[in-house]
Amino acid sequence: MPETKRKHRDETNHRRGHSKPNRNSRKKKKTGPRLPSSLQKELDRLNPTAPIDSDQDIDSADGDGAERELLPQDFYEYEEQQAEEESKKNKRYDPGSVDQIQYDLPIERSDESEDEIIQSDDDNDDDDDDDGMRMTGDAADDDSSEEGDGRHTRMLQGITGMPSEAFEGKKKRKMKDDGIPELYPESEYNPSRDVVDGDGQISIDDLLNPLQDNPGFGKLRKRIQQIENNSKAIHAPLRTADQAKVERKAAYEISKKEVTKWQQIIQRNREAPTLLFDENIDLGFSTVGAIASEFEPRTEFERKMAALVSDDKVMEAYKKDGSRLLEMNTVSVEEEKDRQSRIAKMRSLLFRHELKAKRIKKIKSKTYHRLLKKDRLKTEYSKIQMDPEVAKEFAMKQERLRAEERMTLRHKNQNRWAKRILTRGLNSQDEGTRAAIAEQLQRHSELTRKMHSMKDSSSSSDGDDEDAGSDQDMGSKVLGKAIEKTMKVIQDDDETPKSGLLSLPFMRRGLEKNKAAAIEEANLALQEYKDSKKKLENSVGSEGPEATSISGRRVFGASKTQISDAGNKVKSDYNYGSSDSEDDLRASKNGNIETQRSNILQKDVNTDPVLIQEDTDNHQESVFKDFNEIVKNPGPKTTYEVSLFVSDTWKKAGNRDEKGTNVKKSAMPSGSVRQDRKDTEKEVEEDSDTDSEGQMVDRILTSGSKLSYELPSQEELIRQAFAGDDLEDEFEKDKMEILNAENPEPEKPVLLPGWGQWTHVQKKKGLPSWMLKEHENAWKKREEAIKKRKDAQLKNVIISEKLDKKAEKLHTKALPFPFTSKEAFEQSMRVPIGPESNPATAIGALNRPEVVKRPGVIIKPIQFEEVNPHEKPEERRGDKHRSKKNKGSGGRSMKKTSA
Amino acid sequence: MKVKVISRSVDDFTRERSQDLQRVFRNYDPSLRTQEKAVEYVRALNAVKLDKIFARPFIGAMDGHIDGVSCMAKNPTQLKWIFSGAMDGDIRLWDIASRRTVCQFPGHQGAIRGLTVSTDGRMLVSCGTDCTVRLWNASADNLMELSNSTKNSVEPASVHVGKNAYLAVDHQWDSELFATAGAQVDIWNHNRSEPINSFQWGSDSVISVRFNPGEPNLLATSANDRSIMLYDLRMVSPVRKMIMMTKTNSIAWNPMEPINFTAANEDGNCYSYDARKLDEAKCVHRDHVSAVMDIDYSPTGREFVTGSYDRTVRLFYYNSGHSREIYHTKRMQRVFCVKFSGDGSYVISGSDDTNLRLWKAKASEQLGVVLPRERKKHEYHAAIKKRYMHLPEVKRIERHRHLPKPIYKAAALMRAMSDAKKRKEERRKAHSAPGSVTTQPLRRRRIIKEVE
Repeated sequence: MPETKRKHRDETNHRRGHSKPNRNSRKKKKTGPRLPSSLQKELDRLNPTAPIDSDQDIDSADGDGAERELLPQDFYEYEEQQAEEESKKNKRYDPGSVDQIQYDLPIERSDESEDEIIQSDDDNDDDDDDDGMRMTGDAADDDSSEEGDGRHTRMLQGITGMPSEAFEGKKKRKMKDDGIPELYPESEYNPSRDVVDGDGQISIDDLLNPLQDNPGFGKLRKRIQQIENNSKAIHAPLRTADQAKVERKAAYEISKKEVTKWQQIIQRNREAPTLLFDENIDLGFSTVGAIASEFEPRTEFERKMAALVSDDKVMEAYKKDGSRLLEMNTVSVEEEKDRQSRIAKMRSLLFRHELKAKRIKKIKSKTYHRLLKKDRLKTEYSKIQMDPEVAKEFAMKQERLRAEERMTLRHKNQNRWAKRILTRGLNSQDEGTRAAIAEQLQRHSELTRKMHSMKDSSSSSDGDDEDAGSDQDMGSKVLGKAIEKTMKVIQDDDETPKSGLLSLPFMRRGLEKNKAAAIEEANLALQEYKDSKKKLENSVGSEGPEATSISGRRVFGASKTQISDAGNKVKSDYNYGSSDSEDDLRASKNGNIETQRSNILQKDVNTDPVLIQEDTDNHQESVFKDFNEIVKNPGPKTTYEVSLFVSDTWKKAGNRDEKGTNVKKSAMPSGSVRQDRKDTEKEVEEDSDTDSEGQMVDRILTSGSKLSYELPSQEELIRQAFAGDDLEDEFEKDKMEILNAENPEPEKPVLLPGWGQWTHVQKKKGLPSWMLKEHENAWKKREEAIKKRKDAQLKNVIISEKLDKKAEKLHTKALPFPFTSKEAFEQSMRVPIGPESNPATAIGALNRPEVVKRPGVIIKPIQFEEVNPHEKPEERRGDKHRSKKNKGSGGRSMKKTSA
Repeated sequence: MKVKVISRSVDDFTRERSQDLQRVFRNYDPSLRTQEKAVEYVRALNAVKLDKIFARPFIGAMDGHIDGVSCMAKNPTQLKWIFSGAMDGDIRLWDIASRRTVCQFPGHQGAIRGLTVSTDGRMLVSCGTDCTVRLWNASADNLMELSNSTKNSVEPASVHVGKNAYLAVDHQWDSELFATAGAQVDIWNHNRSEPINSFQWGSDSVISVRFNPGEPNLLATSANDRSIMLYDLRMVSPVRKMIMMTKTNSIAWNPMEPINFTAANEDGNCYSYDARKLDEAKCVHRDHVSAVMDIDYSPTGREFVTGSYDRTVRLFYYNSGHSREIYHTKRMQRVFCVKFSGDGSYVISGSDDTNLRLWKAKASEQLGVVLPRERKKHEYHAAIKKRYMHLPEVKRIERHRHLPKPIYKAAALMRAMSDAKKRKEERRKAHSAPGSVTTQPLRRRRIIKEVE
């Protein structure tokens, strides 16, 4: 151990050799005897720093000292660097150890120098030199030099009477100075000056010395060494005020930085369209499960249920896998089978029914549905006929209806709507309305007619049924009427229109041709009517069944009428012989002609007299039944549908004809109709041909009438339409008026009345020049204003520059704050946000307020959370919503609220 | 062939309950509704008018003090309780719902100048000109017990006596620290009888102190030397001081934006500052015609309420230059303290006339349970109002307020003065070399300097 210690000492010794004298002197001083006061004074006089130094005063005159004493720590630094030397100094006085050092030296040396080189640059040179010197010194005169030194000092002491240390320091310094003056720059590492001046201080070495034996010494020494190497000069402390200022400044910077972390959160919240403060509210029982778990049975029933549910067996079975539950649930096989079969049956029934309903629902044919309805009615009737009770009931109902109708006259244009329509004029109404009115009237007549029929045929059954006899009577009557009407047509046809489209020569020619044909046909028809009438009269009894077999509604179409008048006359009279409906031949002449034509074609097909009757009826009475049809085909092409009730049952025939005229209608032939067809086929060879021919004729006729009329050119029409109007002039005038209104003409300067009138001064002098000038200026101004107008160059446009006061309130005076452009501002108001113009799903987002909070919920201040600056706001929203959904999980939300 | 048919699914039209409304399907094609914009404008106009009609902000007054109310504190955990301190040393706890005193806290010998409640609501701290700081046990259970019993006064949990009068107190968020202001700023702990820290910067007394709720270690104070100071408890030192032309009476931090605070100034304006840039106010909130005595932020951070010496209470948006609302009554005198309720829907003001007044934060808000359809309607109205608020008619109606004559006149006078000043400035500028006269923006004008 002592060896290592010595090594240490040696090391330090070699490195810090230059400060050895200091140590020496101090040591000596400390150990030496006290001087007499007089001597001390003398010494003070000679070397004023010495005693002060001994007192360890801070205010040393020495430059190094001053530098060191800036801060108390410096003392330590200074002393520290002395510390190692202490050991050497001690060694000095221990010749044995010195020997030892000498002995060790060669080995140590190499290590030392290496170490030094690695350690630092600045000190190395010095140290190396120092070492070198020391080495040489040591090598040359080990003890002898020491001895010599001692003797020399003693001699000096003897001469001067001064303490030995004074001389020693001087000598040492001198020696150093002499030997290597440039190698020892004066510094804190080289405090030779102090020593020379007798400036001995307690250094850290002194303090460290006694610690040498302690285990941590090596470490401590190393640290001290490090501090030595890195030590710098330290400034004087600032005034406390300044110091505080600096501190505050630093603190502010730090707190600023600390606070800046909020920047992104704040930014995000400010940019967010909505701040939500109603999240994460703990409502206690929020889930159904939580509430259910709290449930306790109270009533008898609840207890029973609970006993069943929480039965040990069941619970156990449930907990295991549920298979035991099945065991416990015993059901007999037969029962189950029965149940299943029952269910299957039910299902299949339901399914079939459903399918059927679907199929029926899919059928779009009106005819079919009508037939369906008829069927239903028929079954009802049959029921009525079968069951006297039901019949009675029905009769009573009908009677009541009739009575009501009689009393209220509800359907005789009595209600407000009908009256209103009538006051406005039926002709100005659209077709739908007219048809509706017609329908009403028809209903009225139906209801009242029943009364007649009841009176006539005292049958208690349905009034719709009519006897064959009466039917035949009617038939003959109709025939008679038809004859009459045909005659009339033939006679009436003379008149020709004097103006309008029909007055054009080519039209007239065509008309004449048509008329001739029509008359011919009419004559033919007349003959046939007469024939059939005779036949009818002859075969009263035999006709009945045949008529029923082919009877029904006959529909004739294919009439093209010019709507010169109200166009289609609506006549709703199903009453057979009633003549209260008048025919407007003049209006529907064309149509008549056409229908006549088609009748000719059909004539040979429909040889049956009853049908002929119908045909003739078509001439005279155009009866609309289905007003929907009319509404569907408005315009020039109107279809006249005629339906006659010939038979007792409301069956209709003539589907074929309907097909011929209305292609749209898909016929759903009933049995009777088919029968009819067969009959006719038997009678006539080309049944279908006639059908198509009918169509053909129809088309040709319609197209023919179109071809015959040539439209005048557009210009001509316009000229005709606006004959006598001078629009351009009017426009000019209007524009001038507006110009004048917006830029009024200046008033003409006038002579001032009464002023100098009697002397005619004004007249002589004329108007004053300023007046003229003013007037001229005003004119100029006006002209300029007119020129500046936007519509000055636009001939056909008037752009009013008058400010609209009503519109002004819809404009802002300046662009409002957050908007940067007019477009953006207008865009912000463009799309309406109301519930009327937005779906309910969008309204919430559109109308959401900026801050959503719930009254009664305390909002806590913001808490910090990391924010991803590149995060999109939508994502955050979604995230929030998610967190809102799973309340308990405590999603990361910025605001925390508590109930 | 494609056949278009009308299809109606039963599910779409089936109602869950018979009271439900029938579902109506609409065609939202804008071309079918060409007048929609006009309709919305009219609706906005009507909504604004309705707002005027329904504007009944005053809910009630709470009387009981026998001297002017100087300070208030809200309990962070209890919405319906508010503490108030009066100039005669009386502290009361009010139940806002019933507007009655729950209990009293006797003990102070002089005026109460500061009240605050700890974040958990357990501790009430009061201080006053009698140089004492008193801590009271104000936990809900304790007080409920008291209110049920006949005795309705509380003994202080502890009393700390200082050398100087205390002028303000505020509690740190979520901790045991609170700060008092007086001759110096003291930081106290609940459990200690001596302040754990004292700060003094400048020799004038500090008149207000506020902790930052979002950033709890920051606190701001204002002093009689017209300064606003920031302190950081982590650094255990004051950090920055800024001196304005006039004194700041109160400070409020934005609870949602911990870097921003607003100072209620003696000159009748409020100045919003960014704590990092004190050389310029972020926004100047004008409208009061006399000194602003107190300020409090809404917990939403979007608006704040101010009480002024001009006998009015005003509500501002955090970023608007002018108030959105003014509240006044004939009997309300100088307002010394204002508070927003914890849910941000009410405002409480305490004034010289010994009363506390309860106001709605939104004058025309519907109180009570609001059905979803009603809420939707309100939202829609608010949205269209916001949309059309720039149009002159809507704006005029929305901004119109009936003011007491003195305030109206004072406002006119102040406007005239500022206009004259502006004119003068403009003329001076016009008559001097270009660039030699510069006008400071108002945000900067009232700031004298920033002291490090």
